[in-house]
Amino acid sequence: MTLSIPHQQRLPVVIGALGFLFLGLFLLYPLFSVFSASVLDGEGEKFTFANYVKILSRPFYRGAVTNTLLIGVAATCTTILMSVPLAFALARLPVPGKAAIIALAAMPLVLPSFVSAYAIVLLLGRAGIFTQGLNAIGIGFGSIYGAGGIILVYTLTLYPYVLLPTMAAFKAVDVSVEEAAQSLGSSPRRTLWTVTLPIVLPAILAGGLLVFIETLENFGVPFVLAEDMPIFAVEAFKLFVGETAPNPSSAGVLGVLLILMASLVLLVQRRFLSRRRFATGARSAPPILKVGLGLKVAATVYCWAVVLLALVPFFAIVVLSFMEFRGPVLHPNFSLANFEALFDRAMRPLMNTLLFATLAAIGVTLVGVPIAYVVTRVRSALASLLDVIATLPFAVAGTVLAIGFVVSFNSGWLILTGGPFIMVLVYTVRKVPFAVRSSSAILHQIDPALEEASISLGRSPLQTFGRILVPLMLGGILSGFVLTWVTIASELSATVVLYSGQWRTLTVVMFQALEGGGGGLATAAASTLIIVTLVPIALLYRLLRRYELGA
Amino acid sequence: MTGIVIEGAARTFGTVRAVDGVDLTVGDGEFFTLLGPSGCGKTTLLRMIAGFCELDAGQIRFGTRRIDTLPAHTRDIGMVFQNYAVFPNLTVAGNVAYGLKARKVAGAELAKRVEEALALVQLAGYGERWPHQLSGGQLQRVAIARALVIRPQVLLFDEPLSNLDARLRVSMRAEIRELQKSLGITAIYVTHDQEEAMSVSDRIALMQSGKLEQVGAPAEIYRKPASRFAAEFMGTTNLMPFGALRPEALRLAAEAPAGWPRLEGQVAHVEMLGPITRVDVRLGDGGIVRAAFLDEPARALRMGDAVALAYDPARVVALP
Repeated sequence: MTLSIPHQQRLPVVIGALGFLFLGLFLLYPLFSVFSASVLDGEGEKFTFANYVKILSRPFYRGAVTNTLLIGVAATCTTILMSVPLAFALARLPVPGKAAIIALAAMPLVLPSFVSAYAIVLLLGRAGIFTQGLNAIGIGFGSIYGAGGIILVYTLTLYPYVLLPTMAAFKAVDVSVEEAAQSLGSSPRRTLWTVTLPIVLPAILAGGLLVFIETLENFGVPFVLAEDMPIFAVEAFKLFVGETAPNPSSAGVLGVLLILMASLVLLVQRRFLSRRRFATGARSAPPILKVGLGLKVAATVYCWAVVLLALVPFFAIVVLSFMEFRGPVLHPNFSLANFEALFDRAMRPLMNTLLFATLAAIGVTLVGVPIAYVVTRVRSALASLLDVIATLPFAVAGTVLAIGFVVSFNSGWLILTGGPFIMVLVYTVRKVPFAVRSSSAILHQIDPALEEASISLGRSPLQTFGRILVPLMLGGILSGFVLTWVTIASELSATVVLYSGQWRTLTVVMFQALEGGGGGLATAAASTLIIVTLVPIALLYRLLRRYELGA
Repeated sequence: MTGIVIEGAARTFGTVRAVDGVDLTVGDGEFFTLLGPSGCGKTTLLRMIAGFCELDAGQIRFGTRRIDTLPAHTRDIGMVFQNYAVFPNLTVAGNVAYGLKARKVAGAELAKRVEEALALVQLAGYGERWPHQLSGGQLQRVAIARALVIRPQVLLFDEPLSNLDARLRVSMRAEIRELQKSLGITAIYVTHDQEEAMSVSDRIALMQSGKLEQVGAPAEIYRKPASRFAAEFMGTTNLMPFGALRPEALRLAAEAPAGWPRLEGQVAHVEMLGPITRVDVRLGDGGIVRAAFLDEPARALRMGDAVALAYDPARVVALP
């Protein structure tokens, strides 16, 4: 018997099969390895739940759970409180310089958050510049280490996740709904609370959940700021590195718990938020409100203050990297010594960063775009399953996926540990959900009749994909590529688990300098990272503008 | 040039029988229309012929060649879509050349055929324009040129005029009909608009719930509907105890030939539409009869007037 597949479905079936194969081997299998590590004894032979009992009976690790969750909830709340007024002001109030504010507000999305954390330490830490200055004139303030500092950095670096969707939602509100409320006798203030905010609430919550998941999985910020406070992602890393038994059971337990927490949040999001989406048939953005001078000035000051404050740490790092460090201690003299130290020894880490980011961004595009095609164009249970699996990496912390890769591919038929490809593969898998999401969004905008027209004119589905869909998606694919490239270049949580010998990246150099107290090297690496991040974004911005003008 | 034979075509989506055992023969060079309300299966049937929808059962042949097992891109079909589906990343000429390039036509031959096709749809000189610079009517002309230029065996139209405004619809449908006849390509046209169907078609297949309700020439289906559904879908119908009666089969008794049966009642509603006047008359039993008369300046009908109508007994259609 031959398997009969309708001819117009052959291309999606082939792509889907390859997608399942790739994600099965490089996502599900490593995750299964983490799970099996958590339920086997130290020798990796006997099945046992003792690891869970052992970990959860220790107050230290129970504290890690509570700390992580509490910090996540607190950071989500502060982020929402800071971002919603900002979103409203940018969408509905007369604030001068909006385009610039929005461009600046998007930057923390691509800048590495642990760099911001490190800058906060240099400015406000124990030996920080401001701390010493303020102490000298007799003003003291609380410690920046621990929960407070972590929440501060999360708020300053993750707020775009709430701001951008909320702003879009405020702009999508059909103004006639507000007018209806006011014609029924509701004051503008009451209308805002009873009509407008409920309409944008799903967008706020969706953004908030993204922030929460990011805080669960973040490794760099707590690594820099937590000090003695146990945080999940950091402890999983420490346990894995420190494990002496052949089977990393304790790290496996933390990994499984971390995945469970993030999956739970994602599940909540899919269940509740997907149903509570209010379609408003707004044909044009609602008008800018007329407000008094006082409110206008207050809104303007607030908007600029938030976006600039979030960027101050990055700016400070760049300035500080040109100063003289003796060990961790900063001296206010101009110096290029840090960069000399960084690049004299080897250009290799920079080259590795550029190479890995390029390879992984190509991989993400090659995997993500075809999967998005199947997910948007085929309605079947298997396509939905592929969609769910392709979203899964979002719920998996980089540290945990990396541990899964090490456990899965350090022996047997496929050995990847110690080489560069293990890092490229982990980066690729981690960013697949973003590529699938962004490509799906573009594909939903493309009328399927265009593909049918091409096919009826004599081009096969594969040729149609290449000749019609790819050109139409090109702008989106390109910006997706650059954004992936940039976020991979500053990836830390999986990198610290996976790097070896000559395959160190810039983030590893910074990480090692932090551990060893080499402040100069760390700031130089961080500055280089910031430049490596911003240059492609600026180029993309110019290219897309020319593309739009040319079309 | 080819006739089309459809035998026992069937397709089920979930529990819905979208196409439920359709048998149909379309003659060589015929302009054939699938007409029916939304959800009747006409589009599904068209997509089966195009190759975008699998058959659960049955087969489709172009002449003697079975095509329902072929991939869509090898069926040699020109298709015109409801929302034009003009490639936005190609110029007008690029769109028209698309199918030719797929057939390895190149060079001077390519340029010549693209120009001819554009001239045929009155877009000569528009080749270098981009789709976003064109109006809806022009876009649909590009789509028609793109479908014609490959000299397909069969032309398929999927509600091609429904996105255009009323005036343009009327002039475009005449153009489409003229083009099809001059090229002699067998065409299948899908629409839900009975007037459009009657104006362009050689024959119409009226569909409902995935089945053919009636197949015939426009005048035949209009004048001799085979069912109550056919009678009502093809235009306003009075369903009387003695059969179905079109509004124009009625006249004022005073203007009618002697011997036509009479109906008496009161004028309930008058609509003056220019060339014709439509009148609703409430009969003694409370039922409404709809009549339509050519405009007659001397006539005065007001709401509430007592009125006597007469009908042509030869135009009463008995329905099963």
